[in-house]
Amino acid sequence: MSELTVEQFRLGAARVEEEVGKVIVGQVDVVRHVLVSILAGGHVLLEGVPGLGKTMLIRTLGQALDLKFSRIQFTPDLMPADILGTEILSDEGGRREFRFRSGPIFANLVLADEINRATPKTQSALLEAMQEGSVTVAQKTYRLDEPFFVLATQNPLEMEGTYPLPEAQVDRFFFKVNVDMPQVADMVEILDRTTGKSVPSAGCVISGAEIMQMRDLARGVPVASHVREYIAELVLATHPEQEEATPLVKKYVRYGVSPRGGQALMLGAKVTALLEGRYNVAFDDVHAVAPAALRHRLILNFDGLAEGIRPDDVIAELVEHVPQGNA
Amino acid sequence: MDAASDLDALSAIIAGCLRRMRLQRALRWCLLGLDLGLLLALLLGGAGLLQARLVRPQFLALVAALALLLPLLSALVAYLWPLPRLHAVRRLDRVLGLQERLSTALEISEAERAANPLLRQQLEDTRRLARDVRPAHDLPLRLRPVEAAPALLCLLLIALLWVRGESLFQAARRAASVKQAVTQQQENIEKILSQIDKNNTLTEAQKQALSQPLEQALQDLQKNPSQESSVSVLTSTGEKLQSLSDPQAQQMGQALQQAGGQLSSQAGSPLQSVGQALEQGNAVGAAAQLAQIDPGKLSPAQAQQLAGQLQSLAQALGSSNPALASQLQQAAHALQSGDTAAAQQALQSAAQSLAQAGQQLAFSQVAGQAGQVMQQGAGQVLAAGGGQQADQPGAGQIPGQGQGQAGAQPGGSQPGGSQEGQSNSGSGHGAGQGQAGGQEAPDSPIDQNNGPGSGAEATYEQIYAPSLLGGSGGSNVQLPDSGQDGTTIGQGPITPGENNQSMVPYQQVLGQYEQVNQQAIDNGAVPFEFMQVVRSYFDSLKP
Repeated sequence: MSELTVEQFRLGAARVEEEVGKVIVGQVDVVRHVLVSILAGGHVLLEGVPGLGKTMLIRTLGQALDLKFSRIQFTPDLMPADILGTEILSDEGGRREFRFRSGPIFANLVLADEINRATPKTQSALLEAMQEGSVTVAQKTYRLDEPFFVLATQNPLEMEGTYPLPEAQVDRFFFKVNVDMPQVADMVEILDRTTGKSVPSAGCVISGAEIMQMRDLARGVPVASHVREYIAELVLATHPEQEEATPLVKKYVRYGVSPRGGQALMLGAKVTALLEGRYNVAFDDVHAVAPAALRHRLILNFDGLAEGIRPDDVIAELVEHVPQGNA
Repeated sequence: MDAASDLDALSAIIAGCLRRMRLQRALRWCLLGLDLGLLLALLLGGAGLLQARLVRPQFLALVAALALLLPLLSALVAYLWPLPRLHAVRRLDRVLGLQERLSTALEISEAERAANPLLRQQLEDTRRLARDVRPAHDLPLRLRPVEAAPALLCLLLIALLWVRGESLFQAARRAASVKQAVTQQQENIEKILSQIDKNNTLTEAQKQALSQPLEQALQDLQKNPSQESSVSVLTSTGEKLQSLSDPQAQQMGQALQQAGGQLSSQAGSPLQSVGQALEQGNAVGAAAQLAQIDPGKLSPAQAQQLAGQLQSLAQALGSSNPALASQLQQAAHALQSGDTAAAQQALQSAAQSLAQAGQQLAFSQVAGQAGQVMQQGAGQVLAAGGGQQADQPGAGQIPGQGQGQAGAQPGGSQPGGSQEGQSNSGSGHGAGQGQAGGQEAPDSPIDQNNGPGSGAEATYEQIYAPSLLGGSGGSNVQLPDSGQDGTTIGQGPITPGENNQSMVPYQQVLGQYEQVNQQAIDNGAVPFEFMQVVRSYFDSLKP
């Protein structure tokens, strides 16, 4: 695949969604956001109560994408070396030496299941991998294969014995996707599919190389100046000290979105535009990815937490009030 | 189709859309201009009406001008005002649902497009979608009801003002009439002042005495030209001037005129020229003629004739000017006794007295006539404000003009008696009250040396001014048969509550009495300060 066209991009993504849809019932937006994040080269944090199929979704994606997949179940006693790998003493032909044995992080698609159950020390082991695409062990840095994605899950209910992700770690996730309870029809379908004799499975439809090509194509999507300005204003408006901040932001937000949030908005919007078969970014694309790109980067203050304000409420108000350029 | 032709096609589509957008903007601003125009018309018109400055045609013109001018101007400016292309294109994206395709395509440079195939595809995609744009259909010309609402509201209020504001319009009409009348009176006063200044018969002191109240009135009228103030100023000025007029001077003037008529009819007599001057009301001229008579040059017969004429003249003036009569008598005696020197001296003294009498007469006449002009001016201002005064002399016709004594009287400063009056530019509508029988009224309020004419002077009826109501009032007037009992037509019981023997209920005759009252008010027979009293009385009688 030398010159990827927009149509091929769209069809490729549609095939992935179709394959995932064979296993995952409903959750169309969740699948779309995860796919957007992967095509933009970002990591995803999925949050939802147990049993909603978060792990299943990521596993199915791993099947649909022809990528090396590994799963790490995060527990309180998990150590960084269990993730990154470690130097072991090997004895080959009477010669003893330390050799690096790579951990599960050395994969293309890493499922970090229940990431908030590990200690911050272990969680931080992912920082370099997620940001730099490399790991350093015993003063040696090992490059991770491209593409590299971390898809993490966490449970918002069981807070006992969990370690909330630090802001720096959360900020490294491209999107945070909330997984909600399915509708009745979807629930029935889930019951039918998972309690029968045959268990559906997804086929491999896209290779890692194609994903890299798709990522490159998405980065070339043009964005009009007023749309770029709108994204910047949207990000700045999340800061309570800014004049453009909305009333909810000024009242309930402690820290606003970092520039990484703006990057996520822009890249996510570009991918979304291509998925919609469009060659440029529209305001609608920005709006489509805004909650997933911004919700985990908005730090609410005590009042906001106490009054049960959700970051999505703040983002909805932002989208409504921030003027769309000069148009 | 290559990128250049795609861009050209796109530009053509955008140009069509921009024209349509300018038209939309013009229509919108036209409506906003109409809102503003009608609001301004309402505010200005309302203020003008409240201040009684706008009559109906002016109000209508104001509303029409603002309601037409501002929308047209707004629409024109809005259509011609440049529309920023990028801004307009962004709006087109939004309005036409093109999802930022147009604005993105226009921002991409040719070099970028050549380097990135995706950008080329973006342009093609944009052109493909924009091709279906129909400006006339996709950018309709619509009026927003919200923006039309203020115009409708203003229009409603303006219509309300138009229909229900009759009292305001009437007040404005009255105010305009009053202003015009006051201006006319100011002009009259200036003319009177000018004539007083030019009057050589009057002394400087007399001019000063006459000018002072008039100048004060002029200042007061300029300072406060309201109806009440103007009427008050004109009335008080008229009274002041009337008070300067000496009734005996008028009597003396009549006597001099009658005597002059007799003397002038005696052809060849020494006093014929004196008589002619007196007949023309030129007492100062007559005095000059009298001073020129030299008894020493007269024959005895002429001296006797002169003595006789002087005696008859002295008898005529005996009651009005005893001093002059005495001097004339002395001259007559001196002539009869042949003492020409004494006669000469007595004649000089008599001429001097006659000249002084002439000046006094002129002063009194000017004061009286100026006072009448002021009084009638007050009536005109009053009539302009309320329509109570009718049949008043017109704007250019003032007392003394249509009374037969003014138009052709020679001035004292014009020996020889030029028959020219002032310019005949009077344009008043009122008929002259005088007896001059077709003489055209000149433009001047008071003619110079316009002494009593030969029977052409009109006497004004004195205005009945009750002395007990509302102030000091004026002089009492004895009505004909006053003080005599009328004929009793019936005698009814006096007891309150019982019917008298009147055969007609008063409601049936109230209208007639009201009509007579209205005529009296219109004729100026009722003083201004008592009009309200009279009106209130009749209002209280209404069943």
